[in-house]
Formats: sequence, structure tokens, C-alpha cells
Amino acid sequence: MLELFFAELTRAGIQLRRYLFESIGGIVISTSVFYGLFLSASYIAGPGLQFGNRLDAIIVGYVLWTLVLFIMANISGTLQREAQTGTLEQLFISPFSASQVFLTRAIADLLLQSGLIAAIIVIIMALTGRWLAFPLSLWLPLFTVLLGAYGLAFAIGSLALIVKRLQQVLGIFQFALLFLMSVPTEEWTGGMRIIGNLLPMSPGAGLLRNLMARQQPLDLPQLGIALVNGGVYFAIGLFLFRWAERQTKRYGNLSDY
Amino acid sequence: MSLLEVRHLHKSYRAQGKTTRAVQDVSLQIGANQVLAFLGPNGAGKTTTIKMIAGLVLPDRGTVSIAGRDPHHDSQALRSVGAVLEGSRNLYWRLTPAENLEYFGVLRGLSRRVARQRSRVLLDRFELSHKSKTNVQKLSRGMQQKVAIAVALIHEPPLLLLDEPTLGLDVEATQTVKRLVREIASEGRAILLTTHQLDIAEELSDRVAIINQGEIVTEQATEALIQQFSSAVYRVELPELPDDRIARLIDLGALIEGTTVHIPNPTLLYPVLDILNPLPIARLETERATLTDIFLKLTKANPTHASGDVHA
Repeated sequence: MLELFFAELTRAGIQLRRYLFESIGGIVISTSVFYGLFLSASYIAGPGLQFGNRLDAIIVGYVLWTLVLFIMANISGTLQREAQTGTLEQLFISPFSASQVFLTRAIADLLLQSGLIAAIIVIIMALTGRWLAFPLSLWLPLFTVLLGAYGLAFAIGSLALIVKRLQQVLGIFQFALLFLMSVPTEEWTGGMRIIGNLLPMSPGAGLLRNLMARQQPLDLPQLGIALVNGGVYFAIGLFLFRWAERQTKRYGNLSDY
Repeated sequence: MSLLEVRHLHKSYRAQGKTTRAVQDVSLQIGANQVLAFLGPNGAGKTTTIKMIAGLVLPDRGTVSIAGRDPHHDSQALRSVGAVLEGSRNLYWRLTPAENLEYFGVLRGLSRRVARQRSRVLLDRFELSHKSKTNVQKLSRGMQQKVAIAVALIHEPPLLLLDEPTLGLDVEATQTVKRLVREIASEGRAILLTTHQLDIAEELSDRVAIINQGEIVTEQATEALIQQFSSAVYRVELPELPDDRIARLIDLGALIEGTTVHIPNPTLLYPVLDILNPLPIARLETERATLTDIFLKLTKANPTHASGDVHA
């Protein structure tokens, strides 16, 4: 698996280097969208607007959204792209299972993209003048968010295997993700809090906002909930992907797009 | 020992309430050093069969065994197969041949070090070393196909599936691919080859399987199949053939068509020539059916009854 991971990293690195313009374009678009939203909100609210640490929370939510969006589009995007370019079937003729190949690839891609995401964070922080805290403990809730994101990515990937074309669904899904990443479920109470804990990636995102925007210490019981949440969504995604792979092989339309 | 054993494969597709039987009771086997030409008209079930062998399509019934392992239940079986699939690029066009070879080598279970070593050897062997740093999309179609075959061989699989490997290639590139197929088979590998270029199939194959409407209509050694469909061994054409000779030739067992004598048995050649002596002979040649003749007979002339007529 480690050999495959390094091979994926090399492959993704070569493509990133060779087609750097595409990657830089992604940073520019992502930061421009945020800055556009920020300026619009400032204009509507007028000059007296004070975001306070809410702006920090929004930045965390937006950057998480960018990150999750990237992961989400990765597996389904790879499936659709490789079906179009005629390499998809070769990926399935391997002693590694398809879920191993796609997970390894998605992690390698994320590792490379994390440099770009870091650039987006720095630019947004510079534009808004709000500097977030980056305590070491943020890795734990981030891990739970990533688990959930990969779970959803596999679920969307399974949909791509079955229905082939997903652009419209993905477009709508982006807004659902923005809601999941930005809604402050950590401030919800009672029954709503339980619902918030059940939503994909939401407990981890809430913990990250508390750590990075409000500089609160890590809430360990809530971290446990976030870990279970991420683990469950990851397992569901993997299960759906394996089911979809079997169905596609049954219908004989793996390479269709 | 057979490196590939396919037994009683069945596959049907259902769409809009209609069932299409893509593959029905297909059985094949290929041993080491053998090339099996798997022939059939478009839509006959070739690609579905190949994809079932490669683990890409699940059969409804039947089994596939590659070097003793079933690719549908044991993913390690896929270490033993390399494939160049038709209608697919099979390669990353944004990567160079060397990068493709290394990546796919690891994907097939090699370490990066071994994949890199083998990549150099294969690029040398396929005369692609000078293009090892050129993106695949900038290579000619023939070179791309050579890279695709090299990629299919990177993990040294005992079984190679080549679906239309010469499709769209010019004459020179076709010759190169033919040479490579012969070399690869002689290394002890089993090759399943599909092609619509039947002269290539005849030239390269040790065995032939013809599939029509999802069913195998014949599967046997190429030479035996050609012999079976060659009505006579020799043909002698004469400017004229007197009646008295015709009677003697028919008694001997020869067949007469105008002034042409068909000799069905090689031992009759000299007795026939003795009878014809001293008549002038316009042409004497071995009479031999081509794979194209046989293919057309089996798939066009009488498609539904072909199976019973020629099964080996």
C-alpha cells in the first residue's frame, strides 16, 4: 500500500507541476469567491459592521468547505475523468481493490493540494486581517472531518459509478456542504445538538471552530463523538462504493460515461 | 498446463424489458507459448468475454481461472494478467512512457524500484528509449500502442489480453506489433488476441476460436481449422482436359471442375500427374482456405447452424 501511495504521490506531483496553471487558477477562484462574499456582506451591513470572532469562524468554515469540496469531487471526478480518457478499466485490473486505489489516490492528491489550501488560508487571512490560531490539537478534529469527507466522497463516487454523470448533483451538493461546514452546530442545544452530532463532519467542524476561532481547549467527549461520526460515515461510504463497483461490473458498464 | 481456463461463461444484459444474451456457454483455454485468436463480428461477445476474463464484468454463470486463480474471487489473480483494451487509451496521456510504466507497475503489485528497472528494459526492447521523456499524447499512434503493450507487460504476467492491438495502426506499426506478439508468446506467455484483420490472426495464432451471437462456433488449432475447410489439398489447372482422362481421374478420387482438377489427398498428387502426363499444365498449386473464408462461412452463410457443423 505504501508503494502505491508513493506512486500516486509521484503521479499527482508530476501532473500538478506540469499543469501548474490549473492549480493556481483554483487558488485564485477560491479566494476570490470568499473575498467577494466578504465584501458583499460588509457592503450590506454598512461601515459599522463588526464580525468579531464570528468572521474567524466563517473563515474556518469556508476553508473547511474548500478542503471537503476538493476531497468530495476527487473520487467521483477521477472516476468520470478516467472513464472519459480510457484509463479507468486499467485501474480495476490490479491486485489492489478499487477502494484501496481510490483512497490512496485521494489522500495523495489531498497531500499535494494541502499546499494550495494553505495558500488560500493565508491569502484570506491577509485580506480580512483576521489571523487564526493553529494549535497542534487541531489535527484530531481535522482527522474526523477528513474521515467523514472521504466517506461522503466514496458515497458520491458510488453514485458516479452507477449514474455516470454527476455534474448537476455535485453542484447542488456543494451548497449542502457549505451548510454542513458553516452552520455552528457546536452552539446548538438540546435535541438540535443531537441532530448536529449526527450530521456528517459537523461535530469535527464545530470543534475546529472552537479551537481556531474561539481559542477554546479541545473538548474530548465531543472529539469522541466526532470520531464515531467520521468513522461511521467513512464505513458507509466504503460499503456503498463496493456495492456500486459490484453493480457496475454486473451491468458491464464500468467504462461508460 | 492451461494458463487460462474459461468454462461455460454466460452473460445477459437486461435493458428496457429486453434481455440480450451477450455470451452463452463460452469455454476457452490457452496454454503457455500459445496465441489464441478470438474472432467474431461486431457485437458477437468478444469484448464482454475479455472483460469477464479481466475481472471487469461479472459473469452470470461460469468460471474463469488464470494460472489457477479466479479473478472474480481472488484479486491476486489480476497479478497474472495484462490487458490492452480496445477503444481505450489505456495510458495517462499527460505522463511520459517511463512514468506510465512505473505507475502501472506499482499498481500491478511491483515495488517502485523494480517497476523503474523493468520500465528501462521494456523501453529499450520496444525501441522507445528516445521517447521516454515525451508525453504520451505527443507520440504517434503506433508508439502509443507499443507503450500500452509494454505497460501490460510491466509485471510480467503469464496471460496477455490484446483486444484489437493493431486497430488504426499504419503498415509499419502493424508489423512491429505482430513481431512483438510473436516474441511475447515465445517467452512462455499465453495471449488472447482479438482482431478484425483476419490475415494477422492467421499469421499469429496457434489456435482460433470464432464467436457468433454470443456462442463459440468453433475452437481448434488454426492449421487444423484451415485444413478442415480446404476442400482439396492441390489444384491443377489445365488449358484442356480430354474426357478419357476425366473418367480415370474420377476413378482415382480426384474432383473435376471444368478443366481444373482438385486433389483431396496428397498421396494422389503423383498418380494424378501420371494420368495427366504429357498434357500441358497451366498452374499447379496447393489449395487452401483462408481464415477470412472460414470466418465468413461460419458467421454469415449459416449463422444458426454453424456450431453443429464444425465443432472440433
